[in-house]
Amino acid sequence: MEETVIRFEHVWKSYGEQPVLKDFSLEIGKGEFLAVIGRSGCGKTTALKLVNGLIVPDTGRVEVKGQDISCADPVMLRRQIGYAIQNVGLFPHMTVEKNIAYVPSVSRMDGWKGEDRRKKTEELLRQVGLSPALAGRFPRELSGGQRQRVGIARALAASPDILLMDEPFGAVDAITREQLQDEILKIHRERGLTVLFVTHDIEEALKLGTRVLVMEEGTVQQCDIPSRLLSAPATDFVEKLVCRRREPEVRM
Amino acid sequence: MLQLLSSVFTLYQERADWFAGLLADHIALAFCAIVMSLIIGLALGIWISEHPRIAPAVMGLCNVLYTIPAISLLGILIPFSGIGNETAVIALTIYGVMPMVRNTYAGLTTLDADILEAAKGMGSTRLQTLLRVKLPMAAGVILAGVRNMVVMTISVAGIASFVGAGGLGVAIYRGITIYNPAMTAAGSILIALLALAFDLALGKLEKYFKKRGSL
Repeated sequence: MEETVIRFEHVWKSYGEQPVLKDFSLEIGKGEFLAVIGRSGCGKTTALKLVNGLIVPDTGRVEVKGQDISCADPVMLRRQIGYAIQNVGLFPHMTVEKNIAYVPSVSRMDGWKGEDRRKKTEELLRQVGLSPALAGRFPRELSGGQRQRVGIARALAASPDILLMDEPFGAVDAITREQLQDEILKIHRERGLTVLFVTHDIEEALKLGTRVLVMEEGTVQQCDIPSRLLSAPATDFVEKLVCRRREPEVRM
Repeated sequence: MLQLLSSVFTLYQERADWFAGLLADHIALAFCAIVMSLIIGLALGIWISEHPRIAPAVMGLCNVLYTIPAISLLGILIPFSGIGNETAVIALTIYGVMPMVRNTYAGLTTLDADILEAAKGMGSTRLQTLLRVKLPMAAGVILAGVRNMVVMTISVAGIASFVGAGGLGVAIYRGITIYNPAMTAAGSILIALLALAFDLALGKLEKYFKKRGSL
């Protein structure tokens, strides 16, 4: 494996009495696309939010690019990490252009004023497969799929090398979802990003991930390349998960 | 009734300068209280929404102050600030703070959690989240509070003349003491028109923000 970008070391996390992560350890290499899959409440979103410090571990360490994030300024850390979530969370009072330029704007990045900002927004819109003409629209004027794309463009705006995505395609129809999946694969290839992608759809995980992490009840069930997941499932849970994919139930 | 109205118009014609002066005083008095309520109410509302633990106490206090009848609040204040415009402005401000705090707090604490998490997760500081995301999104609700407060302040300022303050209340009070219902009506009508005009203008503004702020 190449150089490690994200490292979890024996992380424990619980909400009240309920443990969500139990001795969770994992290394993610540069340029990897790690798809994290599991049922609701298995700890996958918690693991993702540990990376940008939205959630702090009870015990254990999380390192990003070799630095323990408990020692880092969370604001500076988050600005270097793209973040896209299921409900997109676009700012309703800002145009598409201002939404996309949000992180460069709050971190006062150079080259994001006036004409430069417009050009960069257009470029990002094209990259996520949208027409640059949408730049002046408000989020409420967009379709669900278009919002998701803007959300991805916004996460990419500050040129992060890490991208965190929490079920970003959970709320769109099957056809749009497939297009978005192809789009994100293309972006991953072109930019050489390290992506952490949470999903509850095994097909999506197997399609996108260079490695797939299967979680259940706060523990790692298996973390392997997709073909190994299919050929050699490590636990009953993994087997059940991939079996369901291979033999889809059809109503007769 | 018609007779009263016609004598009101005669009054307006005969004493136009006097009424214009009272109207100007009224606006100045209400304006002072409105600015104070705006600043204090907004600051308090923001403060308690960022520190939710103290919110119930502050809201409770504002509610209690709000329930004191206007006339007795003026009376209570006389020993502290004497009679005149100053007392009136203080009383009106105390009243105006309540709708401002309530709406600012409500507006800032009922925002979409996903949007706030996105703002935080992308690396906004607390102040940036407040100024760039929370306040613009809450603008519609806050403006509804401003509208409420402005209309109320303009009308309650009508009784400020009971503690020797100026404004259209002077006409109302004088009308009562010299038994001239037309004069009382003349003052009241001007206050009502003034309040209505501001209500309409702020309503337009509110509509604009609500439309912009909602997804």
